[in-house]
Order: sequence, then structure tokens, then C-alpha cells
Amino acid sequence: MSDAIDHPQLLAEIDAEVRRRRESGELPADFERELDLVFARFAPVHAIGDDFAQVLERTEQSTHIDVLAPVASRTPGLGFVKRVIRKGVGWEMRYVAQQVSTFAFGVTRAVRLLAQRVEHLEQSGPGAGGRLLAMARAEAPPVDTAGWAPVVLDAVKGAPGRVVHAECADGALVAHLVEAGVDAYGVDPADQVPPPGLELRVDEAVDHLRAVADASLGAVVLSRCVDLLPLGVLAEMATIVRAKLAPGGVAVVLSSQPGAWTGVAADLAPGRPLHPRTWCQLLGVRGVSTMEVLEAPAEDGGASGAYAVVVRFPG
Amino acid sequence: MRIGRLHQFVPTFEPGAVGAHMLELRRLAHEVLGVEGEIFAEHIRPSMAGRARGHREYGRVFRARPGDVLVYHMAIGSVVADFVGERAEPLIVDHHNVTPAELFERWEADAAYGCSWGRSQLPELAGRAILGVADSPYNEEELRAAGYRATATAPILLDLEALAGAEADAGALEGLQAAKAAGGADWLFVGRVSPHKFQHDVVKAFAAYRHLYDPCARLHLVGGSSSAAYWQALQGFATALGIAGSVSLTGSVSSGELAAHYRSADVLVCLSEHEGFGIPLLEAMAHGVPVVAFSSTAVPGTVGGAGIVLQSKAPATVAAAVHRVVSDPALSQALVAAGAARLEHFSLERTRARWVEVLTQ
Repeated sequence: MSDAIDHPQLLAEIDAEVRRRRESGELPADFERELDLVFARFAPVHAIGDDFAQVLERTEQSTHIDVLAPVASRTPGLGFVKRVIRKGVGWEMRYVAQQVSTFAFGVTRAVRLLAQRVEHLEQSGPGAGGRLLAMARAEAPPVDTAGWAPVVLDAVKGAPGRVVHAECADGALVAHLVEAGVDAYGVDPADQVPPPGLELRVDEAVDHLRAVADASLGAVVLSRCVDLLPLGVLAEMATIVRAKLAPGGVAVVLSSQPGAWTGVAADLAPGRPLHPRTWCQLLGVRGVSTMEVLEAPAEDGGASGAYAVVVRFPG
Repeated sequence: MRIGRLHQFVPTFEPGAVGAHMLELRRLAHEVLGVEGEIFAEHIRPSMAGRARGHREYGRVFRARPGDVLVYHMAIGSVVADFVGERAEPLIVDHHNVTPAELFERWEADAAYGCSWGRSQLPELAGRAILGVADSPYNEEELRAAGYRATATAPILLDLEALAGAEADAGALEGLQAAKAAGGADWLFVGRVSPHKFQHDVVKAFAAYRHLYDPCARLHLVGGSSSAAYWQALQGFATALGIAGSVSLTGSVSSGELAAHYRSADVLVCLSEHEGFGIPLLEAMAHGVPVVAFSSTAVPGTVGGAGIVLQSKAPATVAAAVHRVVSDPALSQALVAAGAARLEHFSLERTRARWVEVLTQ
């Protein structure tokens, strides 16, 4: 029936077209996320996601109770009856609605004040985006991306979509992947001039990953941020990575062993490196994905304290 | 099985796919098997009055007889299911599928209740049913999971030739063609405006398409509303995106207006997350409209390779797929040809033969 249509080829061409549009910048990374946010403004409070600010905003919008019920009707005469009823009971409805609206407004106001206090507490602690993290980042031992390049290349070759490296620092690993023919780009919070032909974006790793469309990435390579961010953020990042990977996608974590991580960064960072098996737990889906842990050898032949976790998801 | 009379039961007897299927099944039983039968329902729409009886009449006003076989059409929770479940006559459950409640509950609590009620009644009838019949292999799988021992797939009885030949409403067609003359592709989705149909994902993909490929494109969402809240959200969404003038929510339309929309459409885009069968997919094929759909539930089985079935409904992906269809005449023609061939599988002649096979096994 459909012999004339090569469906796998057609779908591959469609994916390639989407990648091309993303690369060219015609389709901004957060375009689809923006659409989601706009729709959420019109969905019932309980139908939008877990975005606290949006939920609170929508709740505030619904604190006002409209007592003017629609009176239009297709049935002859019914519209008149509705208008009479509305006029007759309107004074009582307004009396009740005013009290309910006042109560609802008071509750949402209290929640907003509570949110401000929580935000203040978060900012006063060693949070994910604070001053201490920036200092810890500067002091943390560098990731040997050159050493891991063959492992990463082997893992992401043939990935079903673009490959992102977060945090990519100077983009050395991205450059290596691009040279090998992989459609890769990097993300790093530090603003720097990328080498020609290299796509490096300035953004926090978790913020960038949140913004890209679900099932749109072929592979995600995580380094550096995985040694520094608080555990809660890392757990969230693992969930996001799973959502953003296309079927058959690959997640790679390049990290340090907790025991090997010492110094100023260890004191200042809000988080600590995780054991490789912890990443397997966070990223993998038992019985569904395949996981591989690789230890980097030290110059003396012993363990260097660095490892790579490669998680492959089914196609 | 030996059938003396074949009586059908449904929660609401109304115009539409299931109503037409029931009438066709009654005609088939009479013409081919020589078996008479009545239609019983809790609610009967005015336009169908005189063609059905209240379900409680069966066994009271309308005498039950040995040899009676009951067919229950399952699509939502209903007291009619309890009624047939308590009868002693052999029972066939024709499963048209029940929308999972979680796709409704955040928008319409009442509708979600009806869905979860229906979902709970499906396994309850399994012990009573001598046979579970499903529109699609997907539905048949659900019947097996619900505990039905004997199951079969027999597609809904649908006169696709009549659909293809339906006369388009002249006024509606003229309006649509006038808009088309100004340029831009016409997207079409046909189905109830309901959260489980995910029309908002179609709007997202349409916004991406206008942004990337065709700022003059139009989207027609054809179908009545099953959720006022969802309808309003769609309108607000389109307005906020600045594309309200290019997105039309038609509401319920006549068969002539529906035909006019199919005649004017460049592509049917279906991003629904739950379809027990997906009749508009076949309607589009009957009208020579290429199909781009998201791979969910029974959709891939119904499309059967005669459309572009996407694993992702990321707006950019859907937009790119539609762009391929609209901008590549060879592909569009191949899809239309594949659709025409696919329709053979669901022709009334074949589906009637399949139903005879199922009822005489």
C-alpha cells in the first residue's frame, strides 16, 4: 500500500529539517517552552504543571467571583427567564460572592508572602545559583574532557538528534565531537567567545535543558555541574534529561568520585559529586535502559577518582 | 452462535459514528442473517426518535424471547451497562473504547466521572459476555486485559463511499475557497473539542508552522464542544499567540459543511492522545486529504502506513512534517494514493463481511 513512501527515510528527513531550523536559530531553543507557558495561562489551575509562579498567578486571577451568569439561550423565552432569575437573586449572590472573594484574595496573598519568605531563605543559603557556587566553580578541579573524548564520541555517535554538552567550559569536547561529524553544541554559564564554527550558548545547564522541547535531543553530556549543584537540583536534572532525550537517546555523566574531591570547592559548593551508581539510579530505568560505568585510570595505573556513566535508552 | 434476535443497547442513541454503526448492524443482521432486532438506549436524541426504545422497556413492554442476543456498545459509563449485565440473555460487548479519566479530570470533573465509571464497567461485563468485539486491535487488547475470554476485531461499519461522495455545502465551500485564494495552507482537525483530543497541541504546531514556513496558513478545528473550559482555553490561547484570526473553532457542523472543510483542507493533523479507532483519519483519506498524526493508541493501526505517523508531537516536528506534505506534491500524491488503498481495508463490504463472520462463529 505505502510502498512508494519510505517512511523511515521520510521521518529522518523531517528530524533533520527540525535540527537544521534549530541550528540556524530560526527556531529558538525556548520557542516550544514559550508555547507551553502561554497555553498554561488559559488552562484551569489544576491543569497546569508544577510551576509555582504560574499556579499562584492563575489562582489570583480566579479569586474574583463573577456573579453575572450568562443568560443567553437558544430556547425561546428561556433567556428572559434567566435574566429575571439573575435580577431576583443578584443581591444575595453579590453579598455571598464578595465574602468568598475576600477570603480567596486573603489566602492567595498569604501564600504569596509565604513564597517570598521561602525565596528569601533559598537565597540566604548556598543555593544553585549563588555567590558561593560561583566561587566553588572556580576552585573545583577541571574535568579531563580530552581524556574522556573517545568514550563520549563512542557513546553519542549515531544519537537520534542533537548532542548537548552542559557545562562545556571552553567547548573542547564539543569541538572534538563536531570534528568527528557529530551535531553537537555546548552550554555553559560563563560567557566566552566561541571558536569559529562552534555553537556555545550562555546558560545554566538545568535552565537550558528545561527550555528545550521534550524528546528532542539525541544525547546529553553532563560535566562539572554534576560535581557542584545541590542534590535536589541534580535529581531534577536527571528527570529532565530523561524527558528531553528522544527514543534511543544517550545520557553521559563525567564526574569525580566523592572521595577524591577535596579542597576549597568541597567546602563552598552546595553539592558534592555523586557515586556513579547513584547516577545509574537517577538516570536509568531498570530493565529498560543499559548502563555502563567507566573509571579513568591515573598516571600511576591506579584509579584517578574520575568516572563516566553512560546510560542508553531504548529506541 | 445461534441468534434468534439481535438487540442493541447504548447509553445515548444519537447521530454520529456509533449511531450509524448500530443502524448498519441492524440492517446487516436483517439482510444477511435474517435476524430482527431493536435498538435500546437510556437517552434518545430527538433526531433519532422512533428508531429506538428506552432500555427499560426490554423485558417489560417489549417481551424478551429465547434466542435473543444482546449487543452492548461501550463508550462511557452508564446504567444501561448495569442493566444488560443483570439480564440472562447472551451478551456481546462492542468496545468503542472509553477515554481514560485522567485525560479529562483536570478539565471536566463530570466527564471524568463518566469515563472512570465506564472503565470500571468494562471488566464487570467480562464475566457476562460471550464475546467482546473491538473496533481496532488496540481496543481488542484492552478487552483481553479486562478479562474477556473470547474476543474479535471487527471495525466500525462506516459507509466511506457515501462520505467521499457527500455534497459540500456551497456557502461554506465558497467561504473556505475565498480564504484559500489569498494563499496559505489549510490545516484541519476533526473531532470533539475535548482535552483528550489535544487540540491545543495542534495550535502549538500550527503556530510553529506559521513562524517557520507559512505566515498565511489557517487552522480549522471542526467539532462540537465536550468541555466549555477547554474551548475557552483554546480561544484564549490562539488570541494570546496573535493567530486568532487564522484559527477557527467551528463547533458542530452539518455533513455538507464537514465535506466543505475536507474539500478545502491541505492536510489533516491529529495529535490526539486517545483514539479507540479514529474515524476522521479515514474520512480524510476518503476525501483525498493527506494525514499527519501522532502515534498514540489506535491511530497507527488505523492509519496503517497511509499517513505520516510521528513518534514526537513537538510543535517543530509536526510543523516540519506538514511542510513536507504541503510543499512536496509527489509525497502528497503518494499519501493520498496510500490512503485510497487503505480505505479498501475498511470498506463497508469488507467490514460487513467481517461482522457476519464474527456473529456466525
